[in-house]
Amino acid sequence: MEKTILAVDDSGSLRQMLSFSLKAAGYHVIEAVDGQDGLDKAKLQVVDLVLTDQNMPRMDGLSLIKALRAMPSYQKVPILMLTTESGDEMKSRGRAAGANGWLVKPFDPQKLTEVVKKVIG
Amino acid sequence: MLGSQVKRLLTGVSDHGRQHLLEVETDLVQTAFLLGEAVEKLGSSFFALHAAVSAQQNEVEILLAGIDSDDPKMLRLRVLRDEISQHTNEAVTGLQFQDLTSQLLARTVQRIIGLRNVLSDLAVDGGGLPVEGQEDEIVNMLYAINKNLDVQSNGLKDLLRKAVHQKDMDSGDIEMF
Repeated sequence: MEKTILAVDDSGSLRQMLSFSLKAAGYHVIEAVDGQDGLDKAKLQVVDLVLTDQNMPRMDGLSLIKALRAMPSYQKVPILMLTTESGDEMKSRGRAAGANGWLVKPFDPQKLTEVVKKVIG
Repeated sequence: MLGSQVKRLLTGVSDHGRQHLLEVETDLVQTAFLLGEAVEKLGSSFFALHAAVSAQQNEVEILLAGIDSDDPKMLRLRVLRDEISQHTNEAVTGLQFQDLTSQLLARTVQRIIGLRNVLSDLAVDGGGLPVEGQEDEIVNMLYAINKNLDVQSNGLKDLLRKAVHQKDMDSGDIEMF
């Protein structure tokens, strides 16, 4: 069965690249323009994986992760951060919030799909 | 006399500074817009090209159906397919740099706006200088203006945390928790 990935990023070009790469690897992709939009879409449908940026308007990535982890249906859903942030302090905060991995932008499509495959198959 | 000259200096620095910063801001906003538009068009062309190449590959594979997989033509086709895949990965990685540069440009624009506000306050503070004041009085007011400048400048620094540190075209690190 086709797995669904929620891709959250305020950059249109980044969402375009994410969708292209993940769809080419056989995944269904739902796009969200910021953390709040991501949360709204996650409530409508429980996805298999969440990929989120950190710095976004309205709701940032860490707040999105905390909000998702507070929902029973998202306690075990893998969440990966995909962000320009590469500092250890920010990574620790991501880990504490409930992220399962940290990917620094820009992503290499092949490496990204390898990680996604490892996480959700 | 001294008060009047210092007041004029502060107003001049503020006015000229703000005027130039406004020009810089306008240019940067225009640069960000043009860069975004250009990369969006590049992205669309890239996706269209990729779709066409993929379709062409499929047609070629249909035409070559039945040919031995060890045939040099088939081997060459596989090499070409791998090359296309590698170039596609590199293009997707490269196209993401618009997102990174737009974040840097946005941070620069925010700093310019903040700096304009600092200069605007400098003119307001300078306006309070007594034209015919005593030297001590002017020195005390300049001290207060300097202090305010430091506070505002540091506030701006704290507000504009840098989130983009990439300096090359490589893809970023991956860390699983």
